[in-house]
Amino acid sequence: MIDNNKLENLFLQVQKPSRYTGGELNSVTKERNKVAVRFAFCFPDLYEVGMSHLGMKILYAQFNNEPDVWCERVFTPDADFEALMRQNDIPLFGLESRDPIRDFDFIGFTLQYELCYTSMLNMLDLAGVPLRAADRGDDMPLVVAGGPCVCNPEPIADFVDMFFLGEGEEVDLEVINLYKEHKKNGYSKAAFLRACADIEGVYVPSLYDVSYNEDGTVKCVEPRDGVKPTVRKRIIRDLDLCYYPDYFVVPYTDIVHDRAMSEIFRGCIRGCRFCQAGFIYRPVREKSVDTIDRQSHALCESTGYEEFSLSSLSTSDYTQLEPLLDRLLDWAEKEHTNISLPSLRVDGFSDELVNRLNVLRRAGLTFAPEAGTQRLRDAINKNLTEQEILDTASKAFRGGWTAVKLYFMMGLPTETMEDIEGMAILGQKIVNCFYANPDKPKGKGVTVSMSASCFVPKPFTPFQWEPQTTMQELEEKQKHLVESVHTKKISLSWHDAKTSFLEAVLARGDRRLCRVLEVAHERGFNLDAWSEHFDFNAWLAIFDEVGLNPAFYANRRRDFSEVLPWDHLDYGVSKEFLVSENKKAHEATVTPNCRQACSGCGAACWKEGVCVEKR
Amino acid sequence: MKNVRVVFSKTGRARFISHLDLVRTMTRVMRRARIPLWYTEGFNRHPYLTFAAPLSLGFEGLRETMDLRLEEDMPFEELVSRLNEAFPEGFEAISAAEAVCKAGELAQSVYRLALDCPIDAVRALLAQGEILVEKRTKKKTVKTMDIRPAFADAQVEACDGGTVMTVTLPTGNDNVNPGLFLQALNAVNGGTYGMRVLRLELLTAAGEPFR
Repeated sequence: MIDNNKLENLFLQVQKPSRYTGGELNSVTKERNKVAVRFAFCFPDLYEVGMSHLGMKILYAQFNNEPDVWCERVFTPDADFEALMRQNDIPLFGLESRDPIRDFDFIGFTLQYELCYTSMLNMLDLAGVPLRAADRGDDMPLVVAGGPCVCNPEPIADFVDMFFLGEGEEVDLEVINLYKEHKKNGYSKAAFLRACADIEGVYVPSLYDVSYNEDGTVKCVEPRDGVKPTVRKRIIRDLDLCYYPDYFVVPYTDIVHDRAMSEIFRGCIRGCRFCQAGFIYRPVREKSVDTIDRQSHALCESTGYEEFSLSSLSTSDYTQLEPLLDRLLDWAEKEHTNISLPSLRVDGFSDELVNRLNVLRRAGLTFAPEAGTQRLRDAINKNLTEQEILDTASKAFRGGWTAVKLYFMMGLPTETMEDIEGMAILGQKIVNCFYANPDKPKGKGVTVSMSASCFVPKPFTPFQWEPQTTMQELEEKQKHLVESVHTKKISLSWHDAKTSFLEAVLARGDRRLCRVLEVAHERGFNLDAWSEHFDFNAWLAIFDEVGLNPAFYANRRRDFSEVLPWDHLDYGVSKEFLVSENKKAHEATVTPNCRQACSGCGAACWKEGVCVEKR
Repeated sequence: MKNVRVVFSKTGRARFISHLDLVRTMTRVMRRARIPLWYTEGFNRHPYLTFAAPLSLGFEGLRETMDLRLEEDMPFEELVSRLNEAFPEGFEAISAAEAVCKAGELAQSVYRLALDCPIDAVRALLAQGEILVEKRTKKKTVKTMDIRPAFADAQVEACDGGTVMTVTLPTGNDNVNPGLFLQALNAVNGGTYGMRVLRLELLTAAGEPFR
């Protein structure tokens, strides 16, 4: 037990203590002795980030919907609170009960980006459990993980007992139910993990042996104890029937996305070749207008949120978007509730609808052209033409918008300096669009904010074999972009190439990287996604000491025949399809989206969603 | 349109909610409680909601007030019960009524301070001719002020090895934060004493409850 008085005295010494106090509206409290399973749902980043994540909200509510399961939230404490915790011997605790999570049955992590791995290890350490799975016995909590990073979990395979591939709603509860049975009949960790390995979507890394070739590439991954050789991800077949919370925990402090969120579909029809989400969440499955309307309204009522957003990978691709917005606006307008629409193409909208949305919220308009020229957009299969961008911008300007954000990537395969200049030219054309509008608001200028991130090749995309552009080249390209912009109406920002390099190493790494992460943890690394915590040279020193070359993972072109560290995992999209998409990229040939034609990626094996829609 | 003053308490875990966060929290509570709030007109419409005296982070309050403006009439008892259904842990609505006092009439607050410090040390400090503390001003400069006059009428009693002090302090224009007393106490004793602050009541200059 943690002494509450001692803890609350510490709260008064830190920034934003309501991140650690618990007790927020709708947080779930149960009686300790009336539950069979205690689950610590950990998000390895600060409260403000983790509390904005929709997946955690869904699973938190779903677990707690089970009477004998108590799921609590845990986030990475900020540096000031962590220091006080360590000085005062306060172990990492669940926000709801303030009990130490080392006494829980499960410690679960959602892994959204690679740079949070050090925070995951730091949280295990703060909890007081051994980092390595092999060092945790039958009396220790099981450490499990899910989320997009799990599609190549090898760099953290030594620390996690089991991974959940794909969508968690069903598989998580299956594992918990099996756990309850094992607890009744004499639990041993080894026997339990072996039994879990037979559940579809569960990957127990300790039951797979990895061997390497002399050149450092993977030779083969061999299953032991007769477990399945390939682990296939899980999907939810019918989103209308799938659990969705009618409440969110409402934080006191301001968080990144402080609003209700309605998920409108999973997957994406587009197949942009750089985008991991576009491949690992296939096939596209929509929720019906009725379901979304009901769920959105229920969430707004239970949270009191004055704003909700429609969440998906590409909201404008929802087939019933106008009817949906009509339905939602019916009550939203009356109740002073704003609807926020992320990443939208409004070129297809009626003026009336644009106006109604305008009344509610005049947010900035965001585009993601990703690349500066049509050739490169074709190579990455970003099905967005310059004309579409300009038409949408013009329409938005006529509707009164004055700010446009453009997202680009640098270092895409086949990119040249001409493509970099293309970004600046496109920005200039949008500025010109604003001044071409005869009804533009008086006394107001236009702001075009262009942000360029560094491309990171990811597993299960057609670019999984591609080398990442070197940091030196990326920096040259950034410099060239600055020189290509000739107006003050365009503001530029870009990501640090160094963090993207480390991200690339971890994204396509193998199990040998576990040692790098372990040393990084020993040196106190934490919250590496935050620039003030990220020390690149210290990372390079660790790679050097451990004897691994990070460029081997980041900047090396893989042969199509190479065994990739994640080849024993199956996300439904076939390797043959990814190879053919890679080849088409180098020819700058586009692939139609899933609604136009089926390109045979392999996801049709589930016979759901867009794969069975009439085209 | 009707102006209503709600009296509420903010105790327990709710004391860690800062004033800025409290405003946001209350707006959401009102919406959950389906209170027909009046929204300001104009570009960025928001409900009208004000607080007489912000409570510092970490302090508890038994009779805090919040003014709101209703679009349609609603019985006060119903408003109170709906708020209590919608409040998160640590809040309780006590009463609601039309505001009697103007916001500017709030002049003092009654506090109960629970110090984990022996009563002799507290008495010794109070017996000084002046108690000088450094106070940060809004302009981020530091000025020295004497809080002895504000604590002249403080009542103290020993309690479980610590000290409980009841004191009425100026609130608003010449605000004296009770935290300054702890600051002075620790400066003198070089200690790391702690203090739990409970605001019992808000008063007008005449000593009437601020309602």
